[in-house]
Amino acid sequence: MPLDRKIAYIDLTTGDIQTKPIPLDVRKKFLGGRGLDAYLLYNHTEKGCDPLGPKNTLMVSGGILTATCASATARTHIMAKSPLTGLLGSANMGGFFAPEMAWAGFHHLVIKGKAKHPVYIYIHNGEIEIRDARDIWGQSVTDSQWAIREDLGDQEVKSLVCGPAGENLVRFANVMTGIKNSGGRSGMGCVLGSKNLKAVAVRGTMDIKIARPKEALEYNKRFIDQIVSAKVNQTQGALGTPFIWGATNSWGGIRTRNFQYNQCEYADDIEPERIDEICEETMGKYHMTGCFGCQVHCRAQYKIPSGPYAGTYDEGPEYTSQGAFGGETDTPRAITVLTGNHLVNKFGMDNLETGSLISWAMELYELGIITSKETDGIDLKFGNDDAVIEMIDRICFRKGWLGDTLADGGIAASEKIGKNSFNYLIQVKGMSNLHSDERATPALALNSATGSRGSDHLRSRPAIDLYHLPEEVLRKIYSNPVPYDGPLSSEHTEYIGKPWQVFWQENCYMGVDCLGICKYHTTFLGATLPNFEDWSKVLYYNTGLEMTPEEIWDVAVRCNMIERLFNLREGLARDDLKKGDMLNHRYFDEPCRRGAIDVVGRKIDKKKFIQMIDEFYEHKGLDNNGVPKPETLKKLGLKNEPSHLV
Amino acid sequence: MTTEKEGLSTAESLRKTRTYGKFRCHNPTCMERIQPEKGKKTAKCPTCGMEYRVHWVNPNLPRIRGPVWDTNRKLAETKLKEMGVK
Amino acid sequence: MESMGKVLVINYEKCTGCRLCELVCAVMHDGISNPTRSRIKVIKWEAEGLYIPMSCQQCEDAPCMNVCPVKAISRDEEFGRLVIDYDVCIGCRSCVAVCPFGAMSFNSIDKKVFKCDLCDGDPQCVRFCEVNAIEYVDADDVSLLKKKDAAERISIAGKEAAALAAQV
Repeated sequence: MPLDRKIAYIDLTTGDIQTKPIPLDVRKKFLGGRGLDAYLLYNHTEKGCDPLGPKNTLMVSGGILTATCASATARTHIMAKSPLTGLLGSANMGGFFAPEMAWAGFHHLVIKGKAKHPVYIYIHNGEIEIRDARDIWGQSVTDSQWAIREDLGDQEVKSLVCGPAGENLVRFANVMTGIKNSGGRSGMGCVLGSKNLKAVAVRGTMDIKIARPKEALEYNKRFIDQIVSAKVNQTQGALGTPFIWGATNSWGGIRTRNFQYNQCEYADDIEPERIDEICEETMGKYHMTGCFGCQVHCRAQYKIPSGPYAGTYDEGPEYTSQGAFGGETDTPRAITVLTGNHLVNKFGMDNLETGSLISWAMELYELGIITSKETDGIDLKFGNDDAVIEMIDRICFRKGWLGDTLADGGIAASEKIGKNSFNYLIQVKGMSNLHSDERATPALALNSATGSRGSDHLRSRPAIDLYHLPEEVLRKIYSNPVPYDGPLSSEHTEYIGKPWQVFWQENCYMGVDCLGICKYHTTFLGATLPNFEDWSKVLYYNTGLEMTPEEIWDVAVRCNMIERLFNLREGLARDDLKKGDMLNHRYFDEPCRRGAIDVVGRKIDKKKFIQMIDEFYEHKGLDNNGVPKPETLKKLGLKNEPSHLV
Repeated sequence: MTTEKEGLSTAESLRKTRTYGKFRCHNPTCMERIQPEKGKKTAKCPTCGMEYRVHWVNPNLPRIRGPVWDTNRKLAETKLKEMGVK
Repeated sequence: MESMGKVLVINYEKCTGCRLCELVCAVMHDGISNPTRSRIKVIKWEAEGLYIPMSCQQCEDAPCMNVCPVKAISRDEEFGRLVIDYDVCIGCRSCVAVCPFGAMSFNSIDKKVFKCDLCDGDPQCVRFCEVNAIEYVDADDVSLLKKKDAAERISIAGKEAAALAAQV
């Protein structure tokens, strides 16, 4: 059976290591990657545990298709209780780590405890070793990876690491691999830091069997043709993810000056086309790179063109950095975006959270809620490029009162700053919203409010809602693989039918995250990209596991429910502004001031929004409080589970 | 190959709906398909009057780079005034 | 035979470093996913963003063929490739040691040397490389392609120089 894959349980306190096969019945219920991680997290983490304590459990995994002959299955998933939100922590990254871990013999790791001094875990062809990392501690994201290669004398080793931000317990530190592949959001790097775990290094030359190699190879070709023929991926392959920011800013969906505007005007210098010019000037015509086995190649390569870091090589910036260090702070200068992007990559820190908190602090400064006393004399006004760059450094190293305060995350900072600072904090469940502004797009607003790891675009965003697709096309997509005959609307400013779209996307994204496929290869940015039906075939040819599209859907619903159960156990309550499914009041009170003519003046209608949440809960099988109904759990086979350990 | 004989999935069947050489106006109530003149750097929506800067990803694939900023601001300010938003 | 005289041409500048070629090569030949089994290997300098795919050049005066003590390696004119006769091969790895490109590999699981066989005229690395970093072309055309590239660069440089001169 090609699915003879393993989990390793590693206790950093005792040094105890155990390996177990992944039982087939568990596979059928949770597949792998994020879904299986959620199941493991629920089982292995005690209710109410300290996210920074030894009892928090860290999951590292590849998807069930990772390291098979299926394209773009390079995603690594990391899960633990979040030190930022106290709820579900979950991060997903590309690169080359997960496949290498699979060839080294493992698809899942469960890491507990806390090492006495900095260590790293080395996995090589089925063998697991805990090694001294005292000499590597303190080094940047890339330097620590190169140091591990030196230590092991093997240049092919792939590592996931925490950078200085994780070591300094910045609550939104990333797990990183390669130059810039980031397991961002919800502070998984901080969990590594809290465990004295600098890195997990892997190197493998073991075989992964393919159930039907010929069919798998041919189907992969067909899959790739479908992917690369999509306009969205051709654009992505030319301009990288910044193209998303460009389009979004054009119609007026970019949060600017924290939340005062919904468009960053005269942003020509950070538009994707300008950034692409800089990449070409510094790296040549062919400056796009990709993750393992992916033909979209959405990641740009660049060298910083000027300033104190001139000539430094880095990758990106993704559209998140354009938002974080360009739009939100109203500093639409390429040099600021490229430098900011480099610093967060080097430090291993979430660009979205960092930029969002800096822009929040800027608004508080302009309102006089904080003053130059708290900023150590920094003139923290919107548009001050130097202040943005300085604050990134201060947050990572917890320098000064404000740097140290922001490093603890928005909610903790708002409690320390006091006054009415919380009212200006654009977050859900303790995690800052990304740089997008959803006041004109109710479907996207619903997605931000209900994402399992906090406000997020990668858990349930129906991005294709913006394309004004004909209703019959929407119907084709959203009534498959399970029937849906409720309303659907092509109007992205509408409220009708959106809860179903968000529910469908939530399951679609859980599906790809279980399989280990990148979201650019599914119904995320492109309406014609593969989903459930196509996955059923890929899964069969590669692993021999026969599952219908409906069964994959059921797995996704089940795994999303486990994430919900985890959050409920840790205190999620529907209307709680700090731990619930609710947006900041500004979404409902302050109209859009910029963008396309008919975006101007829009805001979210609170009554309709609450109705959308009700409807979304109904699709999920939750009661009015957002708690699963007993029959829902029974239907999903979770009635007596999660109860036993794998 | 068995896979070639199989029917198309929904995603694959939607492939024929792709339209090259055009983009949609970014204004939500408009969303008119605009076909910019090959190689031209700006395009105006014939229906709602929004004006866009155009970038050509390749000779057959235009995209909206962004609005023409001055027009964009003027339209927004007028709209806000009409709505009485301060 | 249309594949006669065709060769693999690698344009490393175009390579995105995704290593799909390694994956499909291993699956095509061994039915197994494991880049160690691949005949093509992308060598990387990650800190600089430089990726160079390396594969067999099917040399005319091939060191592997010359060094083989049992004459297990021979030229197959149909596909313009060097092939290993596994019935004759003794697994001494002399060919691995002598190959100037490191294109001859040794599989420690099956205990066999292995190299690129151009997939009998339909190289999968070429088929799957969407950016055309690897192409399968007539040997006669290789230098023509390079001439064209170089000419393009000269033309651009010429235009830039003219533009600079105009500014002055």
